[in-house]
Amino acid sequence: MTTSVVNNAPNRIHVHDRRFGWLLTMPGLALLLLVIAFPVLWALFTSLFEYTLINPGFHTYVGAGNYAKALGDPEFLHSIRVTAMFVVAVVVLEFALGFLIALMLNDTERGKDLYYAILLCPLLMNPVVVGLIWRMFLHPSLGIVNYLLGRIGIPPVNWLGDVDVAFWTIVMVDIWHQVSFMIVLLLAGLAALPREPYEAARVDGASSLQCFWHITLPLMRPVIVVTLLIRMIFAVKTYDLVYIMTRGGPGVATDFISYFIYRSAFVGLDLGEASAMSGILLVIVLAMTAYLHRSMRAIS
Amino acid sequence: MAAIELRAVTKTYANVVSAVRNVDLTIGDGEFMVFLGPSGCGKSTTLRMIAGLEDITSGDLLIDGVRMNDVDPSKRDLAIVFQNYALYPHMSVRENLAFGLKLRHLERAEIARRIDGISAMLGIGPMLDRRPAQLSGGQRQRVALGRALVREPKAFLLDEPLSNLDAKLRATMRTELIKLHRRLGATMIHVTHDQVEAMTMGERICIMRDGEVVQVGRPLDVYRNPADTFVAGFLATPPMNLLPGRLEAEGGQLHAVTDGFRCALPRAYAEAYASHAGREVIIGLRPEDFHETPDRAGALGGLPVTLTVTTVEALGPETVLMASLMGEAGPEIATRVDFGREYEVGSRVTLHYDTAQIHVFDVETTKALARPLVSAG
Repeated sequence: MTTSVVNNAPNRIHVHDRRFGWLLTMPGLALLLLVIAFPVLWALFTSLFEYTLINPGFHTYVGAGNYAKALGDPEFLHSIRVTAMFVVAVVVLEFALGFLIALMLNDTERGKDLYYAILLCPLLMNPVVVGLIWRMFLHPSLGIVNYLLGRIGIPPVNWLGDVDVAFWTIVMVDIWHQVSFMIVLLLAGLAALPREPYEAARVDGASSLQCFWHITLPLMRPVIVVTLLIRMIFAVKTYDLVYIMTRGGPGVATDFISYFIYRSAFVGLDLGEASAMSGILLVIVLAMTAYLHRSMRAIS
Repeated sequence: MAAIELRAVTKTYANVVSAVRNVDLTIGDGEFMVFLGPSGCGKSTTLRMIAGLEDITSGDLLIDGVRMNDVDPSKRDLAIVFQNYALYPHMSVRENLAFGLKLRHLERAEIARRIDGISAMLGIGPMLDRRPAQLSGGQRQRVALGRALVREPKAFLLDEPLSNLDAKLRATMRTELIKLHRRLGATMIHVTHDQVEAMTMGERICIMRDGEVVQVGRPLDVYRNPADTFVAGFLATPPMNLLPGRLEAEGGQLHAVTDGFRCALPRAYAEAYASHAGREVIIGLRPEDFHETPDRAGALGGLPVTLTVTTVEALGPETVLMASLMGEAGPEIATRVDFGREYEVGSRVTLHYDTAQIHVFDVETTKALARPLVSAG
């Protein structure tokens, strides 16, 4: 009898603890369900109906019709292409630049904290503020960028109005804003690398470049994978910069998925199709998140 | 093979912290030298300066007579085995072994030949395709050693490579390293804080303290003739008993005297210590120089010393007795006696001290007083 009491006691405490834990998390969970799960489910539900803001209501069930319509819409497919190009461009360039700066900072002794603080500033800024600042800087006639270029004899550039330039302008501003994110994560990874393999490699006869190639890159692989994936997920969802700086233009040069969905819903007023597009974007992001999750699990 | 020479080598960090000071040392071609000392004494820093992983603040490092201060580690043709092995975690054992050879652009067949030879020698053949994380500590240690050996360098630098192993494996690897040195005849410098490793492995040991070399010599010479109280207290477990005392001249003889201990010194010693007659000194008594019977306490028959046992540590082949001179009021000393007889805490025992083995140190300099050399035999 005594034994059974002793054996059961921890279980009872455990069950009690679990209930208490649930009780504590309940308000937070309820809030999350309300602000995240409900809108997502509502959007997915809406995507199955012909739901426009002119004629709102779940009157006409179309099943996968909105999805088929979206995937057959050349403008939507164009927005996917533009977004994919943007993701590849910013992730590759931010990674290259971020890794270079992280490597330099990792080897810097004096003033490291100051550099770090300066580099972190853009990351702390709201994307809307970033967009507004750069829109002013890049104004064709009043912006400081063209003014400075003019001082060295370069003719003014229509940064946000030229079809061939606007996309790369958004890429540049995004790099300015987000490269610190890469730096922070990569620098943390570099700082955590063991020192001994480098010393062993130096004695083994490796040059600095060989150390980077044979030691740093392979050892940093887990950090690099996670950093790239997180950045890709965020880049796919880019909206604020485009909204503030170009409104998807000129033409459809910067018509990213998020902005195209916004336009479909609140300009085209077709909430059903916009919800279907959101569903497709959700699948893309979820697939990337699942891959990230799997990579992180494999790493740990 | 290589002879390594350090001339007044000094290492100072940030112009303030002096890690190594004026080290003068020559390590002969093919010699097994052990750097021994407590943590922070500068032994690893000295080794790292030889490897080129630390800059030399002043002084000269010569390998085979060539000044190497400013030569990159990759060009010194030395191999180092680190305390934490420092294997490349993302490479297999085979790749770890091959890495240094590939960097030297050796032919694939030659790399394979060397890896086969080393893996057979160290018994790591079956694990060539495993990653370091899949190996035990002992296996990693072998791989680290293999990585050094496969390069066939001029000299091997071993930075406490056995300190992460358990006691049994450490003893095994100690023996293997000694055999390896005999087989290769290579110059080896082994850094350790373990005096058993130093005594058993080194052809010579270099004892360091606070960044300076205190004594260099053959292990038994250093053991029998420690240069100062630091060396005397550092070597052996339990270490030499160091007791404050004085030298008294009486009846034409010199006596080493401390509380509860009065020892007439042999004539040869008396002459050597005459300059310190009547002065305060530190008396050094090795625990193993106390014997249960007078016949084992040297030619002079030994000095009977009555002790009160305070602790008994039965280690198996021997027993360490901690005991007080002069009843419980006197200083406590350690003695080592043969296993067999049982001792009780609080009991009084009479042991016989071999007076020929006494050590006397100057109280101010802590240096040993010059005495007739007791050779390593």
